[in-house]
Amino acid sequence: MDNRAEGMERFSRRQFLKVSAIWAGGTWVIGMPALQGKSFTVLSEQEAVIMDALADTIIPPDEEYVGGREAMVTRFLDQQLGRYGYLQREKERYHTCLPALNRSSLNRFGELFTELDEEARTAHLTEIEAGLHDSGALENGWGEYSPSAFFRLVRDHCMMGFYGSPQHGGNKHFVSFRMLGLT
Amino acid sequence: MTIRDKHADAVVVGSGAGGGVVAKELSEAGLKVVLLERGGWAHYAAHGDDELTAQRSFPLEAFFGPDNERYRRVAVDRQGNERVVLPNDWAYQNNAACVGSGTVSYGAMAWRFMREDFTMRSTYGDIAGSTLADWPISYDELEPHYEKAEWEIGVAGDDDQNPFAPPRKKPHPMPPFPHTEESKVLEKAAKTLGYHPFPIPMLRNSVPYDNRPACVHVRNCVGFACPVDAKNGTQNTVIPKAIATGNCELRIHAQVTHVLMNDSGKATGVRYIDKEDQEHIQSADIIVLSASATETPRLLLNSRNRLHPHGIGNRYDWVGRNLQGHAYCGADGLFGEELFNRDGPGATIAIADFVHNNPGITGGAVLCNEFIKLPYAYSSGFRPPGSKSWGRAHKEFQKRNYMRNVSIRGPVQEVPNFESRVEVSDSVRDYWEMPVARISGFKLDEDIKTARFIADKAQKWLEAAGATEVWQSIPGTGVSGSQHQSGTCRMGDDPQTSVTDRYGRVHDVDNLFIADGSLHVTNGGFNPVLTIMALGYRVSEYIVKEWQAGNRF
Repeated sequence: MDNRAEGMERFSRRQFLKVSAIWAGGTWVIGMPALQGKSFTVLSEQEAVIMDALADTIIPPDEEYVGGREAMVTRFLDQQLGRYGYLQREKERYHTCLPALNRSSLNRFGELFTELDEEARTAHLTEIEAGLHDSGALENGWGEYSPSAFFRLVRDHCMMGFYGSPQHGGNKHFVSFRMLGLT
Repeated sequence: MTIRDKHADAVVVGSGAGGGVVAKELSEAGLKVVLLERGGWAHYAAHGDDELTAQRSFPLEAFFGPDNERYRRVAVDRQGNERVVLPNDWAYQNNAACVGSGTVSYGAMAWRFMREDFTMRSTYGDIAGSTLADWPISYDELEPHYEKAEWEIGVAGDDDQNPFAPPRKKPHPMPPFPHTEESKVLEKAAKTLGYHPFPIPMLRNSVPYDNRPACVHVRNCVGFACPVDAKNGTQNTVIPKAIATGNCELRIHAQVTHVLMNDSGKATGVRYIDKEDQEHIQSADIIVLSASATETPRLLLNSRNRLHPHGIGNRYDWVGRNLQGHAYCGADGLFGEELFNRDGPGATIAIADFVHNNPGITGGAVLCNEFIKLPYAYSSGFRPPGSKSWGRAHKEFQKRNYMRNVSIRGPVQEVPNFESRVEVSDSVRDYWEMPVARISGFKLDEDIKTARFIADKAQKWLEAAGATEVWQSIPGTGVSGSQHQSGTCRMGDDPQTSVTDRYGRVHDVDNLFIADGSLHVTNGGFNPVLTIMALGYRVSEYIVKEWQAGNRF
């Protein structure tokens, strides 16, 4: 079994087991960690889970303020990839690079990106940012895209989703505005 | 089937800082004017407070235009590589496309250039690799037009506090804005250094003016339309007045593609396409181009004809040359205490000590405290070199420092060069099948040297104010343009080294005028908008005088 197939199998099994209980609006809801999955228009549920892990690594949660995942950065991104606008042309890049990124940690850590803890995710993204995964990207499923360029793009989009106006689907409950002291 | 619109005395292309003024002046003098604008109205109610579509950075779309569907440009890098760019790409060098253009969403600093800004060549001599020249007109010739712009469009300021201000006959019509907490700290520090701080003149109402209210200090000011209409652009001052004369018709969503000429070398009108893709010809006795320092030269170059095989006004290859913006530089500092008090737009204090007369330096810049940093913009800039750009350390930096950051910035006057230019692409066309603008060039080393000098002054200012950590911001060597674009149809007395005469008239076409930043020979060590407005008044004054004397051009 090659890395890719193995990764996908493990991904599915782990995600199936990772069903969790979440308190939402006065009632317990049983579901995937990426609650919003089904309502996405561009990203698949699996892609959304990977994106959530990315968003929470780029903007991690802390005791005071939620991170990128709970600020709904993934919802922001899905909306922007789906509407007419400047981000729409990055749709294919996300479809290719999110799964590639998820598998890219297998060699080094033996686990999918989504299964790593924050420290390992940070270490892995630091390598990708530095261009250490750029050679051999094609064979590793990144298609025509450069892993480091994809990281720069995702980083920027996460900042948009976290710090931009909530009208675009992110920055839930004005979290970044509260964090900066603006509201 | 082409629609031939009713003949007008004058047609004005573009409703920004220059065109809005010209439309009002000509229509008040009794000329029948058609004002063509490629965009529509851009109101606060339709946009709101969305940073991601505002005019400072617009990663999702440029609300104030132009749109990504129909507009393209070609950007050329220092190695000569071409890239097709959309309006939200920084390399597009975007200005707005709406009624009022950039004056709807600008920061509204209302500078008069200094005397030396008009005489850069005789002040600083020949600079290697540059086309530096004096303006054909002096500060004193433009002074009455600055005054008119200040009173008709509305400026709050007080030059008595600025010993470097050029002479003026009348004070500003409105009192200056008060300093913020941050500016008070900077004011004290500037005085200890022997600098001369003063309040930034602003095209904003510090008190009710011209039937519109005073500024309410919203945070989202620069980059946004004003929610209470206290920011003064051409869209809420001169353009409504032009329309009220009954002599001016504003046509929006009108994309002009050509200036039309007859066989005797006279301009006869313009061709434009309306919102329904219908072609029109608007004939006029006088044609005024106020389409910006990128789009005006593009229009001249795209209008080549038998008499002007290289483009109108381009007999000596000066159309599109000398593209300049500003070499923005400065310093950022972190303070022990929170100095940010949320009062928009934030920029209130300036020093003009280093705009000229800097030993061994060509020109210089006014230094101002920066407008309020918006949340997304702050997430990627405004931190010491080498800082983490994501992750836990990044988030902690955001939380700890947003309120404690103070930035000083200065628009360094770029020395013009012949190779920084706007051409038309030979391969890429826009939605209307017209060759798009191709932008290439660079800044001279001289500009970077000046920027380092100015950034050093900014750093000293922040240190004197008590900043605990200070770092500089130095511009790259790429071509400038964007919101301060200028210089591409410079005015001059010699037709062999300029595009228009001293009244903005294209040298070999008697009834074709330009009134926008294209005319600037040099772009000043200041934000250029009040100078563009003043030139609008000057060009108009000449046209009206000739018209009233019976000249039908």
